[in-house]
Amino acid sequence: MKFDDKVPIYIQIKNYLYHQILTGTLQPGDKLPSVRQLALDVTANVNTVQRALTEMLSEDIIESQRGKGNFVTTDVDNIKQLRNKLVNEQLTLVYQELHALNLSNDEILSEMKSYMESRDEQHE
Amino acid sequence: MSDLLKIENLIYSHSLKNILHDVNLTVSDGKIVGLLGENGAGKTTLMRLITGSAHGKGTITVAGTSKPAERKSHVSFTEHLGGLSSGMKVGKVFDFYQSVYPDFNIARSNSLIEFLDIDKNLKLSALSKGMKEKLIIALTLSRQADLYLLDEPFGGIDSMSRKKIINSILKWKPEESTMIISDHYVTEIASILDEIVVVKDKTINCHKQADEIREDNDMGIEEFYESLYEGGKQDD
Repeated sequence: MKFDDKVPIYIQIKNYLYHQILTGTLQPGDKLPSVRQLALDVTANVNTVQRALTEMLSEDIIESQRGKGNFVTTDVDNIKQLRNKLVNEQLTLVYQELHALNLSNDEILSEMKSYMESRDEQHE
Repeated sequence: MSDLLKIENLIYSHSLKNILHDVNLTVSDGKIVGLLGENGAGKTTLMRLITGSAHGKGTITVAGTSKPAERKSHVSFTEHLGGLSSGMKVGKVFDFYQSVYPDFNIARSNSLIEFLDIDKNLKLSALSKGMKEKLIIALTLSRQADLYLLDEPFGGIDSMSRKKIINSILKWKPEESTMIISDHYVTEIASILDEIVVVKDKTINCHKQADEIREDNDMGIEEFYESLYEGGKQDD
C-alpha cells in the first residue's frame, strides 16, 4: 500500500479497511487477517495496525472475539453509519471548496451534473 | 511496556576527539525505531556502544543489564562480515552463527533463507551488495534477541530487495523485541517506524513518535527530518 507520509499511518490503515468493508471485499461477519498479516499486507508495523484496529473496535465497526481474532460487525446499521460519515466527509470538502469559489447551491448542482456526464462519456 | 534500552549520560571520544556527548535515550520494548543522521553523525558508533563493542563513559542498559558481556547476549547486531574469510561459503556462515549463538533459531533461519532467496553455496566474495544485505538481515533475525540493530540495511540496493528486507522485518521480528534501523534516507522505511531518533551535533537531537510528527506537524517524516537541518524550526 502506498502511504501519504504526511498523514498518520494508523488513519490511512483505518481508511484502507473502511474501504474494504464498504465495497464488500470484507463482508459483515468476515474475519480480519491477523495483525501481523495486515502489517505485511499494507507494509506498516504491528503497533500501528493495532492502533487502527483499537480505534475501529471502539467505533463498533469491528468486534473482537477472544482468542479468535477480529471480525467485521454484523450490525449493518453501524456500517451504514460509517458509509454516511465517509460520504459526508467528502461532500463537505467539495461543498466548502465550491462555496469558497462563490458558487451557489444551484450552480454546484449543475456543475456537478455536467461534470458527471463528461466523466461518464470518457468511460464509455 | 517496559524500558528495553536505556542510555544515560553517554560520552564517547576517540583519539582525543569527542564523537558523542550527553546521549540520553530510552526506548521501550516492541518498537521499530529509525536512527537517523547524516553520514558520519555517529549512528554506527552508537550501535557499537550499545552492543558493547565500543566503550564510552556513561550507562547503557539493555533488558535490565548494563554489564557489557551480558548486554551483548541480548543484542543481535551483525556488525561486519569482514571478519570472516571471503572464501567462506554462505552456508558455513550460518553454521558458524549457529555454533556461536545459543539463541540461534534454526527454523526461523531456514525460513529467512528461503524468503530472501539466499544461495548457501555462494562464497562471501561472490555476493552482490544486495545479497550481502539480505545475508546480514537473515543472520541478524535468526537470533532470538531482545534488541536488533540494523546499520543502513538499504544502502545501494534495488527496490525489490528493499521490499523483501522490509517484509522480512515485519514477518520475523519477535513481537516484544525492539529493532533499531539506521538510515540517512528515511522515506523508504517511514511507514514501518514507530519512532525516530535523530543523531545530530554529536548527540540525540530529537526523539519522536512517527505518527505524532505527521499529526502535530502536518508533515512527512523526511520533511521533518530535513527541517532539523534548516535550523531554528524545531520546537523542542
